[in-house]
Amino acid sequence: MLMILIVVVSVSTLYFVIPAVSDAAVEPKTFLTHTGLAIQTTGDVIDPIGYTGEKLEFDPESYLRDFDYGTVSELKDGTILREFTITARDDQVMEVSPGVFYNVWTFNGSVPGPTIRATEGDLVRVHFSNEGSKSHTMHFHGIHKAEMDGVFENVGPGGKFTYEFLAEPVGLHLYHCHVHPVEEHIAHGLYGAYIIDPKEGRAPADELVFILNGLDTDFDGENNFYGANTVPFYYQHHPIEITTNELIRAYVVNILEFDPVNNFHLHGTLFHHYPAGTDTVPSGFNDMLTMSQGEREILEFEYKYPGLYMFHAHNTEFSEKGWVGSFLAKDSEKNYSDEN
Amino acid sequence: MAEFSNYKIALSAIGPLILLAIVIAFLMGPGTNFLEFGLVLPEIHIEQISFVDNEIQVIVRNTGPIDVNIVVADVNDRIQPAAIEPDNHLTKFETALIRIPYDWNEGQPYNIGLTIDDGTRFEKSVDAASLKLEANTELIGYLGLIGFLIGIVPIMIGLLWFSFIQKLGSSKYQFFLAFTVGLLLFLAFDAIEEASEISQRHLSDIFNGQLLIMTVVILSFLILFSIGSSLVKKSQFSKISKPLAISLMIAVGIGFHNFGEGLAVGAAIAFGQVALSTFLIVGFAIHNTTEGFAIAAPMARTKAMILRLVCLGLIAGTPAIFGTWIGGFSYSPFATVVFLSIGAGAIFQVVVSIIQYIREENENTLSNTSIILGIGLGLIVMYLTSILV
Repeated sequence: MLMILIVVVSVSTLYFVIPAVSDAAVEPKTFLTHTGLAIQTTGDVIDPIGYTGEKLEFDPESYLRDFDYGTVSELKDGTILREFTITARDDQVMEVSPGVFYNVWTFNGSVPGPTIRATEGDLVRVHFSNEGSKSHTMHFHGIHKAEMDGVFENVGPGGKFTYEFLAEPVGLHLYHCHVHPVEEHIAHGLYGAYIIDPKEGRAPADELVFILNGLDTDFDGENNFYGANTVPFYYQHHPIEITTNELIRAYVVNILEFDPVNNFHLHGTLFHHYPAGTDTVPSGFNDMLTMSQGEREILEFEYKYPGLYMFHAHNTEFSEKGWVGSFLAKDSEKNYSDEN
Repeated sequence: MAEFSNYKIALSAIGPLILLAIVIAFLMGPGTNFLEFGLVLPEIHIEQISFVDNEIQVIVRNTGPIDVNIVVADVNDRIQPAAIEPDNHLTKFETALIRIPYDWNEGQPYNIGLTIDDGTRFEKSVDAASLKLEANTELIGYLGLIGFLIGIVPIMIGLLWFSFIQKLGSSKYQFFLAFTVGLLLFLAFDAIEEASEISQRHLSDIFNGQLLIMTVVILSFLILFSIGSSLVKKSQFSKISKPLAISLMIAVGIGFHNFGEGLAVGAAIAFGQVALSTFLIVGFAIHNTTEGFAIAAPMARTKAMILRLVCLGLIAGTPAIFGTWIGGFSYSPFATVVFLSIGAGAIFQVVVSIIQYIREENENTLSNTSIILGIGLGLIVMYLTSILV
């Protein structure tokens, strides 16, 4: 009896003390970090910063320059009508960072939702339907009637609503769900950019949209990841290709929850910035921009010299948790097709 | 006929087990969805963090009910690239080593976080980073010396009280035996307290630390009690005297205890809590002198045999050396908790033996002022020396 006791105790001790070993790859691979430290491993590399694997479901690269102008028609009085169809859902689980799966709430299936773009004076008509399990709305920033504000008219599961208003004023605006608790609906991903162009248009430029956002994947009221256009570190491992001496216009929207202040820092050049994009005179010439929750800015800049330039939150906590990226500026003088 | 009744007994023993198996199969077996409600939450537990050259190494265990993938590592809540060996998929109870290349600073506190596939982050903090010890002859010697200083030296010094105890009259002798009981009782509760502290700080909840301690303490008590009583019984027919048998059991019990203490000291040195371990070592040295006294006391009625005393001292003290080695080079909180608990159970067994011995010496009673005073004073002395640790 004593012996049995001793055997049982020692075997169970060994079971806990000696780690279980699973089948492992034996081929060692060298693994170099961005700080230049190298180690050799026979295991897996987990590196969201230098990620080289397959693309995730949401593609920040195509989102960057993707503008939704709607279905365009002309009314009898000559007004341009732009119709958009937006569907809200709250049941998707998406791989938001390599290996991290998070329940996103979406407009048209992505976080952020589509960038809605109209010209000043257009009639905007948004056919909204809620296919989620909770109430949702679309609240647009801008000038419109109270009943088109998307705040008091909750659209329940399976419900529909048509928002209609004139596109005014010119600028970079925002839309998001305004159902209580708003923080939860925004943190889960129900937001997007709303751009109203001036009638006369803006100077031709390479136009980019950056929605500065975060992901609180463990619901503790603090962001686990930060990013520009959702996927942490995306433009770090996939630098944005631009050309020197070409005007870049960046539409920057800060929709970050939980942290009251976010910022934007550009390397290697400075930008003119236009708060909410409503004025034609820049508010400053800077390489730093501080934005509170819900604030938007249009940035205009160009690069003089070719090369790889970072842009990131100068709040380095945010940048080291994903809100960092790079521009790869190619020389406009050089003909790149010759190299191939 | 006898065989038939044996079958019956076997069947009556196994029958309920078979029924239980059927119930479990009904609840959990394939095709049943009886228990498929509620949420299953994954959980991991960071068991150990060590700092090597330009690298932080983390040992993590899946302590939840389902498999997990570890997908992000961070240092001080800042995401870092990392390698995970053997792979990033952990089945239930499986452990993995995470290697984070990091230019860490000596003496600085660090918080290490790991995020799993559902986005939940688990963390553990280190008070002060220091280089993980590598086994070399110098270090083996150093740790061995510390084990020697906290284990063997104080016990040998304590044994020197032997001749003093020997010269005492009966009631004073009983006082000192009772004093030993006080010392040992304190030591046992001290070990249980330390074991539960370690289990709370370093062991995951699924190990049920408090119940583990209780189980091991009682098991060790029972096992050593049966060994001890057979040893004492044998002593009636052999050359081993009863006091020697009791002293031997005390030495063995204290040996287990010192092994556990050695693990704790070795780990304190390995994790770079240098000031703490200097303190620990001085404290243990003073504290453990009383252990030598405890071994010497029951023997004092026999003839002084220096070799025997030295052997008993070695039995009690040497495990401290092995403890510091193992604690220093491969610390396992689980093993430390188990050995501290074994030590506590062993000491309880010794306490029972000494009390029996005192009762026999004292006409079957313990209600003697010198005995009560002795136990009380033993506890107080231990409490005062424990403040040093």
